[in-house]
Amino acid sequence: MLGRERIRTLLREALRQCPAGADGDIYLTATEQALTRFANNRIHQNVAHQDAIAHVRVAVGKRQGRAVTNNLSETGLADAVRQAAEYARLMPEDPEFPGLPEPAPAQSVAAYDGATADCDADRRAAIAGMVCHKAADLSLDAAGFCRTGATELAVVSTLGADAYHAGSFSGLLITARSDDSAGWSKGGGWRMDAIDGEALADEAIGKAVRGRNPQDLDPGEYPVVLENYAVDDMLEALSFYGMGAQMVHDGRSWMSELHGKPAMSPLVSIYDNGLDPDGWPVPFDAEGVPRQRVEIVADGVVKGPVHNTYTAARAGVGSTGHQRGATGGPTATNLFMRPGDRTTEDLIASVDRGLYITRFYYTRLSHNRGCVMTGMTRDGTFLIADGEITTPVKNLRFTQSYVEALAGCQGLSDTAHLNLNEAGVAMHVPAALLGSWRFTGQTV
Amino acid sequence: MDPLIATALDTARARGAEYADIRLVSNREQRIVVRNGVVETMTADESVGLGIRAVYQGAWGFASTRELTIAAADLAAGQAVQIARASASHNGSGQTAARLLGSPVASRGSYTTPISIDPFTVPLDDKLSLLLEADREMAAVPQVTARMANVVFIREERTFANTEGALVTQTIYEAGGGVQATAVGNGETQRRSYPQSHGRQQGCAGWEYVVAMDLPGNARRTAEEAAELLTADPCPSNIDTDLIIDSSQLALQIHESCGHAVELDRALGDEAAFAGTSFLTPDLLNDYRYGSEQVNITADSTSATGLGTFGWDDEGLSAQATDIIRGGQFVGYLMSRESATRLDLPSNGCMRASSWNRIPLIRMTNVSLEPGEWTLDDLIADTDDGIYLETNRSWSIDDRRYNFQFGTEVGREIKNGKLGRLLRNCTYTGITPEFWRSCDAVCGPQHWQLWGTPRCGKGQPGQIAHTSHGASPSRFRDVRVGVMR
Repeated sequence: MLGRERIRTLLREALRQCPAGADGDIYLTATEQALTRFANNRIHQNVAHQDAIAHVRVAVGKRQGRAVTNNLSETGLADAVRQAAEYARLMPEDPEFPGLPEPAPAQSVAAYDGATADCDADRRAAIAGMVCHKAADLSLDAAGFCRTGATELAVVSTLGADAYHAGSFSGLLITARSDDSAGWSKGGGWRMDAIDGEALADEAIGKAVRGRNPQDLDPGEYPVVLENYAVDDMLEALSFYGMGAQMVHDGRSWMSELHGKPAMSPLVSIYDNGLDPDGWPVPFDAEGVPRQRVEIVADGVVKGPVHNTYTAARAGVGSTGHQRGATGGPTATNLFMRPGDRTTEDLIASVDRGLYITRFYYTRLSHNRGCVMTGMTRDGTFLIADGEITTPVKNLRFTQSYVEALAGCQGLSDTAHLNLNEAGVAMHVPAALLGSWRFTGQTV
Repeated sequence: MDPLIATALDTARARGAEYADIRLVSNREQRIVVRNGVVETMTADESVGLGIRAVYQGAWGFASTRELTIAAADLAAGQAVQIARASASHNGSGQTAARLLGSPVASRGSYTTPISIDPFTVPLDDKLSLLLEADREMAAVPQVTARMANVVFIREERTFANTEGALVTQTIYEAGGGVQATAVGNGETQRRSYPQSHGRQQGCAGWEYVVAMDLPGNARRTAEEAAELLTADPCPSNIDTDLIIDSSQLALQIHESCGHAVELDRALGDEAAFAGTSFLTPDLLNDYRYGSEQVNITADSTSATGLGTFGWDDEGLSAQATDIIRGGQFVGYLMSRESATRLDLPSNGCMRASSWNRIPLIRMTNVSLEPGEWTLDDLIADTDDGIYLETNRSWSIDDRRYNFQFGTEVGREIKNGKLGRLLRNCTYTGITPEFWRSCDAVCGPQHWQLWGTPRCGKGQPGQIAHTSHGASPSRFRDVRVGVMR
């Protein structure tokens, strides 16, 4: 950990290199991560890495230039500021560039746990060992990882921005496999002690045991109960293919012609909140703008999108604090789907003939209108018959509009699960019962 | 030897490592993106650091640092061994580095990508002018609502050394560029890209590589095709028909359904939790018909301009070309020292790390379909009823690399040996070995092109590799098309 004072001093000193008449800001991300990876019931990769990256921006009137460096020495940062200033001088003007954002205080949010950040290799190896032994006892192969670490984010600008946040992270991901089946589980968050490793191991192993001898199933349309892992995939896709204002402006978003319309079931409400400690909190964005809670979908009606300073100025609204990285458009990365009032078992019980899906794999956009995605089921796909999970089935390919699928949402579980990915994207989602899902193929 | 390297390797040995290697990497990257007439991004990135791998009792540890000091290297080396000990404590003993890694590697030398013009010496004005001119050309088409033109240039200096005596230095250059137009209208959104999708075409090359693309000269046509697609007929729905797949789309087909499938770490289960496994298990090596006799696929890390071209891989193995599929038979894997040893084979040098702070993984180099003998005109004339597909739009494949589905930006109907009407929203789907066995014609070397895929994800922590794939247009019989809604 570099610490707030050291970062502040480094960045303020570097920004002295901004030429007269120019403004500058530096977005710094510093990460220390250790990850113990296992496969075939042994640890096969075990790594620790750290990096600190300064994203420098210098604005001269309507021109801006950028430079990025991981050389945090006095000369390294100063060179980056000078490089960005030189680029700004050479750039053509951007008439819509609103300038750097005025500083605003970000709310402090607890997201750092020292025990998680400092977890050592022996503890991670012990957790991996526990998972592998449980799997081996049932003649299964376990694969996955246990990771821990911490991230510091800071934004300092010549206009007075002075934002700092430290967050820890942890994750345990498990795949248990037999010759013809697999199960999956994943837990994570900013506190490692919130992860129940034994329960996650049992969850993945239980699926692999139950999934043996999968049967063929004809492709077609079926009602589905999606575990939270599959719902996580849906929200990630809806985020990256359309919750940002730049994509909406360009006509590339699924939202583009749906704003204000009831495109989804009234059961569906989705919002972004970077301040909720049940997610993976990040209280400000890469421009130092405080994160706002943004309603993306409220009771089925499309609201969104999220903004950065640039898109907000163009739309005549305030930035919602969603500039994720130094470049690219605004992105929603701390999403919550409002849970329902039914248990997952109740959702299953209401299906006469359908499928229970653990998660999706390799999902990609087929068409942006309606967010049509194709992908595969993976690691636990089962037939539901007469309200009960019965036969395991071979993995299926689907081609399905995620917006249309959520229009047919018939129920949500009353509990939600945090899915935190490696890139710091956090989705807090329940399980879902969807009236129809279009399966278009089956694998071998 | 650099004292920093010597210190790190000495420390690793002194702490008990049976084997250690170190990579020092200095990466410089320049990216310029023009979006809708505005220079959205013009940035200079640099990243410097070192990573150390160590083996203790046959188990691995890795640590890295961005601080290039002897003290930091010493600390990282000690941490790598400490982590390897933690791995060993779980795995148990009984393994040695020699049994793990096979024959020692003691390569020596240096390598630099052959280029004509160092892209970092080209004035920024020249790069901006090229992109802004391309943008203006696309802006002339009124239905186009989003335009993007970009270039990227990379120079990476790498030094690799190990405790077996290897010491190699490399300077790798990459250059890339592309344009993309999105048109909206008629209740549709359509995109067209040049030279290929996913932003750009990229190769290990200099500035001359981007100049040769002639982005301004192709931008207007690209935008016009995006607009034309808005009123094109949709791809026929859920029928089986013959496909001629263009070189760039076929490159991604090779990447997904062959390149990943022949990564030996996947086949052995090491990637089971993330990227998945492979249907090409070791018992099938040299005893499995992967494709038709027309299908010959090689992995060649010496191909000119390939993103998988280098002097040595990140374990110090020399660049080389090896057969993967020969006459349709599965004959080779992409391998590391450790995985090859498990099959009692020598590594073919496919270990690559995306950065100083990532471990090398088995990655594709330049995995390419060898050219056949057809001309494209003759192949189209020989096809009674089918679709010609160009430029990838979407891609998905299952975790064993069997069931795939791709979408393309453009389709063109083939009727009675002639290209016909334009088709939009084209997709095709299949099962990998069935698909490659249906290949009955491959076009000749005059149509063969090497395509860069600079965004290949794998590993945990995640890594993005730069790979290339060569192909010429090829025909596949009775493929299912038109899976959309």
